[in-house]
Amino acid sequence: MSRGFRRSALIGAGLATALAAGTVVVACQSSGSSSAAPKLSVADPYIPLPATPGGMGAGYLTVRNDGGSDRLLKVSSPGAGSVTMHRSTEKSMEEVGELEVPAHGTLDLARGGNHLMIMDWSKQPALGDELELDLEFAKAGTVVVKVPVKPLTYRPGS
Amino acid sequence: MASLRSTRPRLLTAAALVLGASLALSACSSSSSGGGETSGAAKVSKQASTSQYQGTVLSKHFDKPDLVLNDTGGRPYDLKARTAGRTVLLFFGYTSCPDVCPTTMGDIGVAMSKLTPEERQKLDIVFVSTDPERDTPQVLRTWLDSMGKDFIGLTGDLAKVKAAAKPLGIMVEDPVVAANGSVTSTHGAQVLAFLPTDDKAHLLYMAGTSVETYRHDLELLAKGVAV
Repeated sequence: MSRGFRRSALIGAGLATALAAGTVVVACQSSGSSSAAPKLSVADPYIPLPATPGGMGAGYLTVRNDGGSDRLLKVSSPGAGSVTMHRSTEKSMEEVGELEVPAHGTLDLARGGNHLMIMDWSKQPALGDELELDLEFAKAGTVVVKVPVKPLTYRPGS
Repeated sequence: MASLRSTRPRLLTAAALVLGASLALSACSSSSSGGGETSGAAKVSKQASTSQYQGTVLSKHFDKPDLVLNDTGGRPYDLKARTAGRTVLLFFGYTSCPDVCPTTMGDIGVAMSKLTPEERQKLDIVFVSTDPERDTPQVLRTWLDSMGKDFIGLTGDLAKVKAAAKPLGIMVEDPVVAANGSVTSTHGAQVLAFLPTDDKAHLLYMAGTSVETYRHDLELLAKGVAV
């Protein structure tokens, strides 16, 4: 009995790990029945090292969608007290409530445009660190991403 | 025309810059005699295509602002007097800005690092804070050091900063502090380059200008190549 229980618990843990690992890259609906279901993956996430140590930071990433449209509602992190979504404009910066992830398209969080603003770090970020970001989507649910801290002027592909 | 086609991507970029520039400049054109935005923009466009520089060539050469603030050592710094006869890149921003400000100053920093020490010595990179309440000289120094140890940081009376920025077509407003403590400061994000020959602004770089463009133009500026 107890052995059986332990085994199933282990399988459960294994499944949970596999699921968690899966969500790092892909948050697809397991059913896959409806063509309108979003199929999201996150590419090139990074946090430039804040110019002021431990100060205000930015987060950038690309959400790819091979399915129906979705919306990014909220981002949070166990390693930072505040993560908000902003958009840089010609002269300023504004907070945005949600961001559209178009069907079979991408949502780009990139320098000079939509970006995440990260404050209240629980640990001062350093090069090579990883910050967990939990991206909450309207349809796809929560996607967990481990985001590396890169040099201040880093750009994907450089 | 054949040459036009071959440089199409650059011209498109130039056109985009010109559009951006005319938008940015329209903010300060109320005092001018009203010669017409269209002809002004056309003039800019024509010059941009013949210049060796990749930045937007300005048809109206702004005076360097008469601005005395504190430097990052807390000492008074007279921008006009201290940088007379030198090449100056001027940017207005604030250190609690996560995206555009560190990206712009960081990219200029990377471009500067690719020049020779002699070339670097000819250029003054000046950052003026639009959030002096939080950007103390020390805060500013720490922030700037991440991008350029020799970058000049100025902070002080916001009214003076606004007055200095306005004639340059750079609108600066009072910073707004949100409930979560984040600060939003409204400021034009363009970088202006002043020449040593007349201490006037001749080139403009919009937010999003690449490191390559900065490196290209800073090298020409350091060599004293005419705009």
